Amino acid sequence: MLTNFLVAVVERILNTALVLDSTLIAKLKPVTQQRLLIDIRDWQQQFVVVFTGQNLHLYNTKETLYDCMISANIDTLMALQNPAMLTQLIRQDKLDLQGDLNIAQGYSNAFAAMDIDWPEHLSRYIGDVPAQQVWQLITQLKSQGDKTQLKLNNTITHLCQDELAVTIHPIELEQFKQHTRQLKGQVAQLEMRINQLLQSN
Amino acid sequence: MNENPEKTAHFGYKTVAETEKASMVADVFHSVATKYDVMNDLMSFGIHRLWKRQTIASSGVRKGHYVLDLAGGTGDLTAKFSQLVGDTGQVVLGDINSSMLKVGREKLHNLGLVGNIDYVQMNAEALPFPDNSFDLITIAFGLRNVTDQNKALRSMYRILKPGGRLLVLEFSKPEHELLNKAYDFYSFNLLPKMGELVANDGESYKYLAESIRMHPDQETLKTMMNDAGFEQTTYQNLTGGIVALHRGFKY
Ligand SMILES: C[S@@+](CC[C@H](N)C(=O)[O-])C[C@H]1O[C@@H](n2cnc3c(N)ncnc32)[C@H](O)[C@@H]1O
Repeated sequence: MLTNFLVAVVERILNTALVLDSTLIAKLKPVTQQRLLIDIRDWQQQFVVVFTGQNLHLYNTKETLYDCMISANIDTLMALQNPAMLTQLIRQDKLDLQGDLNIAQGYSNAFAAMDIDWPEHLSRYIGDVPAQQVWQLITQLKSQGDKTQLKLNNTITHLCQDELAVTIHPIELEQFKQHTRQLKGQVAQLEMRINQLLQSN
Repeated sequence: MNENPEKTAHFGYKTVAETEKASMVADVFHSVATKYDVMNDLMSFGIHRLWKRQTIASSGVRKGHYVLDLAGGTGDLTAKFSQLVGDTGQVVLGDINSSMLKVGREKLHNLGLVGNIDYVQMNAEALPFPDNSFDLITIAFGLRNVTDQNKALRSMYRILKPGGRLLVLEFSKPEHELLNKAYDFYSFNLLPKMGELVANDGESYKYLAESIRMHPDQETLKTMMNDAGFEQTTYQNLTGGIVALHRGFKY
């Protein structure tokens, strides 16, 4: 029940962020209705995040249905610095990634680009000085969080380009389509030439 | 002696004719409908929100699902489900009581939740849907008010799709004797007083307290669900067993 309560608080904060930064909704649009499951192994807890178009929903759950899943110990999750480590971590069974990684990236990008003047909003409720103090505390915490965020971002970007090639990026797909089109053209030309040759014989 | 004695049911601690219970329960909820949400928060110190969150977390609900929030009252669960099933899904808020449905509809409209919610008046004992219709049925704090609970469970089983699940959130039996005592004192002394003060309706809240105590405990409800056909039935105690969340599947 305590976890449940804390999760509810975090969900509230995330949704406050949605209200305060009006660009977030647009940024989250690509991941609408996509379930990101975060499995923190050593806590033996799983969390699912879903953006439903207006709100973020965060639940502590035992369900195993997801569109994208990240599983690791909390230390591993926090320490994801060097993208090169990823493959290694996966091989060592310390990290698991499943599903469409663009979803994890979608959620993480949206919050990385968050632009909210928290002290300004805070001071409206508790006055300027306390707001500043609270803000300093939060900034310290946030810088820690940012590092993690950045790591996660790099990590995911890297992973998408990594030898693992777990998922096909839309750009890759576009390139592939283009290549196919070229190839098709060339085959058609070849066919024409063969036909010409056959006829001239 | 009467050849054909009238069947009876519990109305709180009173025993009443089975045919009467439904209308007596209706009176209770007509009279509390408008104050229902405020009282819920007050009575449970807001904890009912956490119990409901747990229900959603255990529901496996997702985009495209067809969900019945039975005895849904003012629609707390429906509000969340409506967002989680999205445009391609649908939620039915079902309740026997038109006043509760009306309050629910207004509340959800004001939250901007329109488009994928139906409001249907229905009795849990005879659900007006074809077999194998729903992916999920929830009944939160509703089952104890139903006259023939076994019949209601069978009806829910019938309209669930194979692979679908039922979640019953309901008051139950606290695991520890001390908690049980404290809880008794709270619900029989304080709760009706709060009802009196806030909703001006002590009697209704006295009924609520009594009906909670008459409701089957964890194991009994689990057996009832199995008897109705549910499989893999499990329950989870919340807040020391004051409330239990039962879950069963239809295969
Ligand atoms: C305590 S309220 C619960 C409302 C809501 N589910 C919640 O958790 O806030 C119980 C609801 O059950 C409804 N109810 C009682 N008997 C019923 C029946 N036989 N069929 C359907 N609904 C019933 C009442 O009208 C009332 O709205």
